[in-house]
Amino acid sequence: MSEAAAHGNQARLSSLLKSQEGIVLVLAVLAFVLFSLLLPSFFSPGNILALIRSVSILGILALGMALVVIARGIDVSMIATMVVSVSWAFVIARSGYSLEFALLVGALFAVVAGVLIGVLIAFGEVAPIFATLAAGSVIYGLGRTFFFTLEMQNVPPDAGWFSLIGQGRILGVPVTVVVFGVLCLALHLVLSRTRFGWQTYAMGNNPGAARITGISNRPMIVAQYAISALIAYGAGLVLASSASAINARLFNSTMIYDILLVVVLGGIGLNGGHGKVRNVILGTIFVGILLNGMTIMNIPYTIQNLVKGVVLLLAIVIDSLVNPRDEQTSQQGDL
Amino acid sequence: MRLLKTTKWLAAACIALAGIVTASAQDKGLENPRSTTFRKTLEGKKVVFLPLSMGFDLTEGWAAVMRQQAKRLKYDFEIRDPAWSTDAGTRALQSLISEKPDLIVAHNPDIQSYARLLAQAQAAGIKVVQINLESNTQTDSYVGADWTEIGEQAAQAVVDKCSPGKGASTKVAIDTGVPTAASDVFQLDGIYRVLNQHPDIQVVSQQATEYNPEKARSIMETVLQQHPDLCGAIGIWDNQDTGTASAIQQAGKGDQVFLVTSGGGNKVGCENVEKGLFNLYISYNVPLQGEILNAEIARLLLSDGTAGENKTLYFNPLTQITKANVNQRNCWTLDDLK
Amino acid sequence: MATSDALSRLRYRLLPDRLFGELLTKSWIDNVIPALALVVTILVMTWIVPGYLTVANLTDLARQVSEFGLIALALTIVILSGGIDLSVGSVFALCVLAALVSMNVLGLPVGVALAATLATGLACGLLNGVLIGYLRLRAFITTLVTLVIYRALYDIIFPRLASAIVGSMPVSPTWDLIGFGTVYGLPVSFAIFAVIAIGVHVVLSRLRPGWRLRAVGGARRSAYNAGINVKLTVCLAYVASGLLTAIAAFLFSARLGSTGADTGIGLEISVLTAVVLGGVSLGGGRGSVGNAVIGSILVLILTSGLIRLSMPGSVNQLILGLVLIAAVLFDAKWVKNRGKLLSKVYVSPTYLKLPNLMPPTGTDVLAVNDRLGAAELIGLGAVEGPEDVVLDRDDNLYTGTRHGTIVRFLAPDYARNEVFARIGGHPLGLAFAPNGDLLTCVGGMGVYRVSPDRKVTKVTDETNRSLLSVIDDSRLRLPDDLDIAPDGRIFFSEATIRYEMSEWAVDALEGRGNGRLICHDPRTGATRTILRGLIFPNGVTICRDGQSLLFAETWACRISRYWFDGPDKGKHEVFLDNLPGYPDNLNRGSDGTYWIALLGMRTKTFDLAMRKPGFRRRMAKRIAADEWLFPNINRGCVLRVSATGEIIDALWDEAGENHPSITSTCEHKGWLYLGGVSNNRIGRVRIEGADPQWTAHDDYWGKR
Repeated sequence: MSEAAAHGNQARLSSLLKSQEGIVLVLAVLAFVLFSLLLPSFFSPGNILALIRSVSILGILALGMALVVIARGIDVSMIATMVVSVSWAFVIARSGYSLEFALLVGALFAVVAGVLIGVLIAFGEVAPIFATLAAGSVIYGLGRTFFFTLEMQNVPPDAGWFSLIGQGRILGVPVTVVVFGVLCLALHLVLSRTRFGWQTYAMGNNPGAARITGISNRPMIVAQYAISALIAYGAGLVLASSASAINARLFNSTMIYDILLVVVLGGIGLNGGHGKVRNVILGTIFVGILLNGMTIMNIPYTIQNLVKGVVLLLAIVIDSLVNPRDEQTSQQGDL
Repeated sequence: MRLLKTTKWLAAACIALAGIVTASAQDKGLENPRSTTFRKTLEGKKVVFLPLSMGFDLTEGWAAVMRQQAKRLKYDFEIRDPAWSTDAGTRALQSLISEKPDLIVAHNPDIQSYARLLAQAQAAGIKVVQINLESNTQTDSYVGADWTEIGEQAAQAVVDKCSPGKGASTKVAIDTGVPTAASDVFQLDGIYRVLNQHPDIQVVSQQATEYNPEKARSIMETVLQQHPDLCGAIGIWDNQDTGTASAIQQAGKGDQVFLVTSGGGNKVGCENVEKGLFNLYISYNVPLQGEILNAEIARLLLSDGTAGENKTLYFNPLTQITKANVNQRNCWTLDDLK
Repeated sequence: MATSDALSRLRYRLLPDRLFGELLTKSWIDNVIPALALVVTILVMTWIVPGYLTVANLTDLARQVSEFGLIALALTIVILSGGIDLSVGSVFALCVLAALVSMNVLGLPVGVALAATLATGLACGLLNGVLIGYLRLRAFITTLVTLVIYRALYDIIFPRLASAIVGSMPVSPTWDLIGFGTVYGLPVSFAIFAVIAIGVHVVLSRLRPGWRLRAVGGARRSAYNAGINVKLTVCLAYVASGLLTAIAAFLFSARLGSTGADTGIGLEISVLTAVVLGGVSLGGGRGSVGNAVIGSILVLILTSGLIRLSMPGSVNQLILGLVLIAAVLFDAKWVKNRGKLLSKVYVSPTYLKLPNLMPPTGTDVLAVNDRLGAAELIGLGAVEGPEDVVLDRDDNLYTGTRHGTIVRFLAPDYARNEVFARIGGHPLGLAFAPNGDLLTCVGGMGVYRVSPDRKVTKVTDETNRSLLSVIDDSRLRLPDDLDIAPDGRIFFSEATIRYEMSEWAVDALEGRGNGRLICHDPRTGATRTILRGLIFPNGVTICRDGQSLLFAETWACRISRYWFDGPDKGKHEVFLDNLPGYPDNLNRGSDGTYWIALLGMRTKTFDLAMRKPGFRRRMAKRIAADEWLFPNINRGCVLRVSATGEIIDALWDEAGENHPSITSTCEHKGWLYLGGVSNNRIGRVRIEGADPQWTAHDDYWGKR
């Protein structure tokens, strides 16, 4: 190898390490290589598909979250929207309506919930974290009180095509993974090719400047939360279809934290304006590799959580060591 | 439906009988003093149910059965719903101790959290019945499944299918719920009691799913990738194991992997047995538990003894439901109980 | 007309509208709404839950508040520092584990168990603190990750020790006392909580670490630039959070003696809800211990109350969510609009009827002339805002400026000037004491003394607080003019207690007696308010009898006399009424006369407006301050009045080029020196026929 090439490689490596994304990428590759060498059944097409599949629902939810986070928001009500809209759709279907109609009602509910949350944030000027925190509680309480009593809702009987979403395969690839892929592509196109996408970045970078340059921030915020709610609904359908049931108790679980971690780990900062779909994919796959490897090693669930946490912590610590923040340039009220 | 028909028929018969009696006789019968005291003693008493959470088949089922008896015998029946939070549960229990109802029906989140408070409640003169999930404190009564027995039955069933030469292999996977819950602790003990006698059975995976079907699905999927020749799987709760089952179905191994799970005998669980998702469904029969619970409530409210004086317990019988015997009689829906 | 005027007068006298605006200026108003919500919740609960206010139930609540409240305090401290701590729930669980393992499994003494619990909390908090404070990680994501890690640790350790924990009960009276005991009827744990809460309150509001914490949370960069060790402060906030959580965990363990698999799960959400309901703002700097406690009680009452009402868990979720939405919505709107609302409602006009303005006849003593037009200019452009002018025995001229200095013009030609003293605020009234000290009223600061060797000392900056005033009127806001009695007492006016120096003219829109006359006695050092409810009291001058003083009430267009000594002590009567303009400073002149500076002439329009408070209120509410109708303060004159209060002369600047508005005069050796609060010069004109040797100094204190 010539000296220049070596130098170039070094430069590339150091620039790679300059971002959270790069660090996570390196860690992901490391983990992948390590598991492939150490675990005999890890590096097989079947397992890798299973790996992606196992995290694709997390990935889909993370896509919705990413959109909101890029616009300097946060949506912790996604799980509530997901379980309530899907469960309600199932209840409607079981009470004699056609499944298609029921699913439409579910989608409508999700969109209405998203719009209301957006209105609360855009027009009520409530901090997104609190607005969505409270909205999650309200949506869940509403659903459990008025729409369905039982937390566990099975997929209605005789739903042939519906179970294909979660359990079918297209050219050997699970439909779940295909759905994740298609949504990734769609969101990528929206973010990079449409006015809506550009304006989303502008809002995330500097909401004040965005408003002055003529972007209607408020309708944009409403739209973003509606989309994230709709994506949550989609994720819920995939989830319900692949597990044959949906459990409203997911709302009480730490799943929303997992989604946030995927987004942040992939390199999308919570202060908005940055991040692409590839960051979501990276974060998702990294978490997938870790979880899958540890499951194959039969590491107990609790220790898996610990390992996951420590690796995440490492990633953000390395990021802060490589890119230290400056007292003079950091933003006030930046959590 | 059938129950309703029977009742109707009975009612008609009664009316006819009553007609005959009034028409023919002067005899006004004897007052049964025991019946009067029975009703008088129970009337106006206060019973409080403290479940893990409302909103799932078990607690909704018990509550429906208990509410019916309360209505019939005219005592107060209230539910304090802590919604899966042990902390809210302990707070509710603490406030109950100062409120002093006549009887508490407690559903323990684990074997220790309520232990001390239940003892305090009894010391304060409140009678306590524990349902299905015990705590370390033994109280006036416990009604529910014997989790060790469920574990043993499940393990035995898997052993029967997966002993060397019988199944695809001798590999077995176990999906637990929350590792600290009472049902898990005792059930695992039962499972390993049997498995230890059969050293040839190999446990290849034991993971906690947090009662989450999606997590159960993804764990089972990975296990099947790793062990395509898996022979048996034991799940801890039917609600979570719909996920386990769908992973098995997807892998096309529905015939190869023998899935055992347990639950309250809800119709949805039975549907899954019919569909072939569950191979063996050990039911602890919620309506039956509810009736036993009712009998215990009445007995304790009538008894003059102080709280904690006599401690009894009753492990109710289990029903093994398979495709062969699944029917209307051993499955229930919430509407049946209301 | 007359009845409507009378009604209007009555209405504005009886209804204290101004209180609303004044309440809004108080900093504790932020706590009032959560506190009211709490009271309403308690009332509703008492009403719908039978036997809610029983001793047993309250004791129960107190125990819960002590644990929950401590964690709310922990979170409040972190939020005040500009961060957030999501890991409190997991830290709580780990600390409970530490306490129970020490007590139940290892059988350690209570003290050691407490130490172990605190150490656990400290370690967890320190990790958070180092990561966020020193490594500058983002608080939200970092504590999210530590939440997962601490939780995983708990989940790993707990099942292994669960049976050992329940297996044995520690025999320790202290432990049981903490868990179940009472002192004076209060649960021990609540007493512990109360002590800690008061301690934290004192630290946050009265001590340096608390101020630093608020500074870092409110404006991190400024705090850094001001030399505060930001990293250490942030780190300590998380350590404090860990320790407080540990104490809560210790109390919890003593009470329950056991722990479950889900201990602490979701705690961060309910505590966050409590803290926000209480009124702590996420983002730092705003919030208090009171907020945290109120929020905790509110959330506990709501959750326990709803469970007690046999509500399904889902309804509780629904109601809590709705309450949280209402709270954050209100908070957002409140923070945004409080200032706007305040500026809209603060101006609170009242009815003021002035005597009819005499129509100008053109021939009387008030006729316009141009005697000030030829004034010599002193220090043109060198001074800004010479409100008052005064000369010393050596004929040097002194004046205060807007820049916070007292400037001295040197005799005899006043061409040279120098900064005599730096005060810091705008010096208004000036007066010389017999020993040569210069006393001055400084806007926004108080009364100050400058010795001939230029040493500046504070004379007084406060007076006695009146009992019923909402505004804290113990601090001097706008001391205006002063004079010194023969015995050395300093009498000074405070123009208004409702407005700052920069918006003194807005007080004219109110026409209420917002001002007062205050006396400082250097012999006792005491400062006492002697007259209240004066309408913009301005100039003060001691009469030649040495027992009374004259003071001007600007917006009332009158001069009053007040006897502070002698047989008429306490008497207060009008000296000169119905002036044609707004009087400012009063000064003695030669031949026993007094000079009155009118800073502007009255107009019929504004006199009418003063009788129409509703009109002025609407004006202040609806249109921008720039377009408000103000009294004329652009065109005034100087009056000379006799000792009995007859106007004997008037001096005008007809062209209005040099001294259209005059706020002060000073006669000295045949010259009249002129100051104006909005001028950039001092003027002097020769007074025809005046005693060329007469000086105010000699008139007061006798010849040298």
